[in-house]
Amino acid sequence: MRKSLGNLSWVCAVAMTAWSSQAVAQNAKELHIMDSGGEYADSLDKCVNAPLLKSDGIKVIQETPGGYAKMAAQAKSGVITNTVTDGPTGDMYRQAAEGLLEPIDWAKLNPEPMFEEAKNPNGFGASYYSTIMAWRSDAKPPQNFVDFFDTEKFPGKRALPDYPEFVLAFAAMGDGMTPEEVSKGLDLDRAFKTLERVKNDVIWWQSGAQPAQLLKDNEVQYAIAWSGRVLGQEGVSSTYNQGMLDISWWTVAKGITDDQRDMLYKWLRLQTNAEVQKCLLDFLPYPGPSPELEKIVTPEVLKTFPTSAENKKVQWLMPGQWWYDNAKEVEKRWNDFKLLQ
Amino acid sequence: MTEETRDQKDAMTPATLALEAASGRPQAPARRQGRVRWDLVLLIAPLLILVVAIFDVPLLNTLYWSTVDDAGNPTTEHFREFAESSAYMRIIWRTLVIALEVTAITAVAGYALAYWITKLGRRLRMVMLGLVVTTFWVSILVRTYAWIVILGNAGLVNRTLMDLGLISKPVQFLYNELGILIGMVNVLLPFLVLPLYAAMVRLDERLLQVAETLGASRLRIFWQVFFPLTVPTLAASCILIFILSLGFYITPAVLGGGKVPLVANMMDLLINRFARWEIAAVVSVVLMAVTLSLYAIYQWIRERSA
Repeated sequence: MRKSLGNLSWVCAVAMTAWSSQAVAQNAKELHIMDSGGEYADSLDKCVNAPLLKSDGIKVIQETPGGYAKMAAQAKSGVITNTVTDGPTGDMYRQAAEGLLEPIDWAKLNPEPMFEEAKNPNGFGASYYSTIMAWRSDAKPPQNFVDFFDTEKFPGKRALPDYPEFVLAFAAMGDGMTPEEVSKGLDLDRAFKTLERVKNDVIWWQSGAQPAQLLKDNEVQYAIAWSGRVLGQEGVSSTYNQGMLDISWWTVAKGITDDQRDMLYKWLRLQTNAEVQKCLLDFLPYPGPSPELEKIVTPEVLKTFPTSAENKKVQWLMPGQWWYDNAKEVEKRWNDFKLLQ
Repeated sequence: MTEETRDQKDAMTPATLALEAASGRPQAPARRQGRVRWDLVLLIAPLLILVVAIFDVPLLNTLYWSTVDDAGNPTTEHFREFAESSAYMRIIWRTLVIALEVTAITAVAGYALAYWITKLGRRLRMVMLGLVVTTFWVSILVRTYAWIVILGNAGLVNRTLMDLGLISKPVQFLYNELGILIGMVNVLLPFLVLPLYAAMVRLDERLLQVAETLGASRLRIFWQVFFPLTVPTLAASCILIFILSLGFYITPAVLGGGKVPLVANMMDLLINRFARWEIAAVVSVVLMAVTLSLYAIYQWIRERSA
């Protein structure tokens, strides 16, 4: 009995060694990234990661979700495994200010043609998305965010993002601030005044797919959601009117090795290709930054872009700098509001 | 864009916990005197090292984080911040209250269920126990979402009630405290039913027969003989359930509609969103202290009454 136990442990030891050396061998060609997951992860796998594995033998490993806190934790631990994360503009400013980011060497990256505003020194503009209002098609349609937050004239429950940067500006508009005003920065008092007023009629969502589902299940009648998640959903209406346009950025972790950077830049460069961006659109309607993209999609698809001329003019841009400047204050007030409700 | 639903953070502690509670007080193993069984020590060592390295050391690390600043110097700053905001203590309090409510509901429902199962015929008994055990096999995430299908506004229950004309608009089961209670009780019920059932069937039936011969009514037999004999197991299971409820994450996140934050959800916010590990560490330390004190009080009462 004891002998067989000994033999077994030998087998285990040998297997472990073999397994770990194999893992090391694979590491050489593995690129670790963080992103928001779900359908977005699926789209990257099909349109970017699979072709890259074929052409360059680089295997991309995704971890979800990413974001500021994960980058901060990784920097604190000193082991940089994940080379890049996605996130909104405010997140990029915050990471940059805290020294978590490596500036992008645009000359080295050498992208295919892309919009200038998507080439930030600290971030690679991956796609345009918008945060907009949506409602059940059988509910009374709101015209603007004053209507949206008027629970008397527009009775029903609201599904709101459980993220301050995606809800506070709209709440401030619910108290009468104009899109022009909030695109420069918002009055937090007015924002929280609105939220205090409606909080009993709110279901907070964390995952992008939730609002559409809550609307369909008739759990809520109105929602603030990311454009790609509600457009084209049956029984759900939405408008870009007063929507918040933003770019989703890839931000690169400071401290990555040269090998990691080489792989990462290959991966990013592939994403500047218009055909690749068209492929990503099959999963989620968030257009990439290639000027060529509009020319190769059908007019119906173009109409859904948050960036199409018609949609762009009724929206406003998220003030990333303001969110960075006020991060501490927002965090404290949001925390108190959410935890004390 | 936090997209993916969370991991199963409050996935079940193994069923063994429940079984352990079932056996009541652990019996000291018969042991040969004066000899250390080195082979046994060797066999246990890997597990011991694993527990120390993976559980105990990080726990101490948490304590360390709560007491040092960025440069690694000792500080009470984090505890002061914790004390100055009313939010943290209030959420810990709320979590304790909900854990208590869950424990009470589970105890009443579970006791009745276990008692009823012991009264069934052999075959039906196996079926019922099987049904209780099956819930262990289904992922907690799936079970939590299943409640939306059953109890949502367009769910089975509400639609049936409305079709029958009993209600005119849907009953709000979910996205409030009620939703959390339903979800948590569902997950925790087996942890109470299995040990209680085991204790009930092991009970010496002759005691009940004696009471009956002496002319006690059925109600009296139950309250004066049967129930007291099951109290130790009931109490042990309740403590287990109470402690498990303190760490629930998915159920409040999904069935509470983000409106009833509990400790685990606050931790998620602090760690994954705000990167405030120090404060999260303070919250853990305080929660741990509160839990251990409660456990100490429980032990003290038990020893005094024994």
